[in-house]
Amino acid sequence: MSAVVAAALRFALVALVLAFLLVPDAFAPLLAPFAPPGGAAIYDRASLLALTVSHLLIVVAAIVPAVAISVGLAILVSRPIGAEFLPLSRAIVNIGQTFPPVAVLALAVPVVGFGAWPTLIALFLYGLLPVFENALAGLTGVPPAVAEAARGSGMTGPQRLLQVELPLALPVILEGVRISLVIALSTATIGSTVAAKGLGEVIIAGLNSNNLAFVLQGGLLTGALAVILYDGLGQVARLTARRG
Amino acid sequence: MIRIEGLTKEYAGKAVVRDVTMAIESGTVTVIVGTSGSGKSTFLRMVNRLVEPTAGTVEIDGVDTRRMKAHELRRRIGYAIQDHGLFPHWTVARNIATVPRLLGWPRARIAARVRELLELLQLDPDEIAPRYPHQLSGGQQQRVGVARALAARPDMLLMDEPFGALDPVIRAKAQDDLKAIQERLGSTILLVTHDMSEAIKLGDRIAVMSEGRVEQFAPPADILTRPASAVVESLVGEEDRPFRYLSLLPIAPLVEPGTAEGPPIGTGHSLRDALAEMIWSGRQALPVVDDEGAACGRVTRGALLSAGRPPR
Ligand SMILES: Nc1ncnc2c1ncn2[C@@H]1O[C@H](COP(=O)(O)OP(=O)(O)OP(=O)(O)O)[C@@H](O)[C@H]1O
Ligand SMILES: [Mg+2]
Repeated sequence: MSAVVAAALRFALVALVLAFLLVPDAFAPLLAPFAPPGGAAIYDRASLLALTVSHLLIVVAAIVPAVAISVGLAILVSRPIGAEFLPLSRAIVNIGQTFPPVAVLALAVPVVGFGAWPTLIALFLYGLLPVFENALAGLTGVPPAVAEAARGSGMTGPQRLLQVELPLALPVILEGVRISLVIALSTATIGSTVAAKGLGEVIIAGLNSNNLAFVLQGGLLTGALAVILYDGLGQVARLTARRG
Repeated sequence: MIRIEGLTKEYAGKAVVRDVTMAIESGTVTVIVGTSGSGKSTFLRMVNRLVEPTAGTVEIDGVDTRRMKAHELRRRIGYAIQDHGLFPHWTVARNIATVPRLLGWPRARIAARVRELLELLQLDPDEIAPRYPHQLSGGQQQRVGVARALAARPDMLLMDEPFGALDPVIRAKAQDDLKAIQERLGSTILLVTHDMSEAIKLGDRIAVMSEGRVEQFAPPADILTRPASAVVESLVGEEDRPFRYLSLLPIAPLVEPGTAEGPPIGTGHSLRDALAEMIWSGRQALPVVDDEGAACGRVTRGALLSAGRPPR
């Protein structure tokens, strides 16, 4: 029963977001009370659909390499030969996490200029830690008897990694990706301060012109995307979860 | 033939297996017993090189195992452990197919082998093969673990407390099954246990380990009647010793002409079984029948008790 309700809610949310992106004007009456007198209720300086797509592209473009590098690093340091790099790797990904994203933007702009790049860099650094820690926990958390059986049956190192360790770690890794993705989705909004195309632009425009309707639609869209992606990846993780 | 010479393992300068030398005949069951921490698992794991020895050699059929690649060596040796270590993300069929797949067997041959093994271990292939390990009982998991170890028809099996997690009834059944399978396939088995009864029941020879040393390596009857040291004696257990000894002796040599009252006992049983039956039914003698059920005489309590007194 609760599964049916969840599926219905999921479908309703996706439908609502799509409707809003495709025919935003239909929602104008709902948002008008929040717009200042004479001001637009729906952001009109760029298409909301195009901003959303651009927002998502920046997030994906930052998270994909972050996942690849974190998982790669976790694989390396969970091998006997890479074990000595563990403290160093931990330190690096932790610095990525503790550095405030605004500071990353401020430092990156002089080097790479305005636009999408500073945001990409900030999101990339932010995406490393959750995936790395989860991948490491997953790869080193294989039950000892299972690891022993894999070795004892004559699997080589790469075979153990690909056939046993990674499949067993996958749900945990996906959980890390889920966290990184949600952080990146919301953090990407500040990228608009350095001229990255995204939903932050709508929020900032709203703040600048005292238009609460803009702030609401930018914020709610970002939130809804985060919920949809978090939930969707959760579904994938459940499918891959080991049956044990 | 497995030849083990001066096998030693040290951790941080402390020897946990010390200078073990033994020769194991092909087609026999060798059981390693000893108290917890005596080095049994470490010894076993040096045979398939899950642990690299600090010193000493293991030769299988005249080939030093160090001359083989470790993973190739392990594919030739079946390995079953107490916590079975089944891969939780694979079905039973896929688990059993582990080593055949590594060896690149064709699909059809693997499928046939999986069926054959499940039947051998009395698991219904249609029902059990598609299940995941967590959908099995502990006993079924353990049997699947043994099936996986047998899958690629290894000449040799290493088993580390393979029945440790089973209740006594299923455990006895699993031991009988293993013995039957071993006799049928003629495999060489090295089995670790800390249950002396299991060792006596399964072993052609028993190696008693204590503090990393093999205290005695001998047939079960010798271990019982001529323990080489106090440690061996204590493991055998003074009060259980006569019954364990009787469990090794067959009825056949004691059969004498004559008749007795009550249900008969088969020649295949041990003197321990016969004694138990005499005590429980209050009889002085039991009629004995052969494998076909034909009467062949009787066994008396007097003959049994004197046979149970070991030669000195
Ligand atoms: N990797 C290791 N590093 C350090 N010490 C070890 C290691 N493996 C085993 N030992 C030690 O070696 C000794 C023998 O261990 P082993 O596992 O061989 O004992 P065992 O006879 O199998 O015991 P049990 O019956 O409890 O399984 C123990 O004291 C153990 O602590
Ligand atoms: Mg052990």
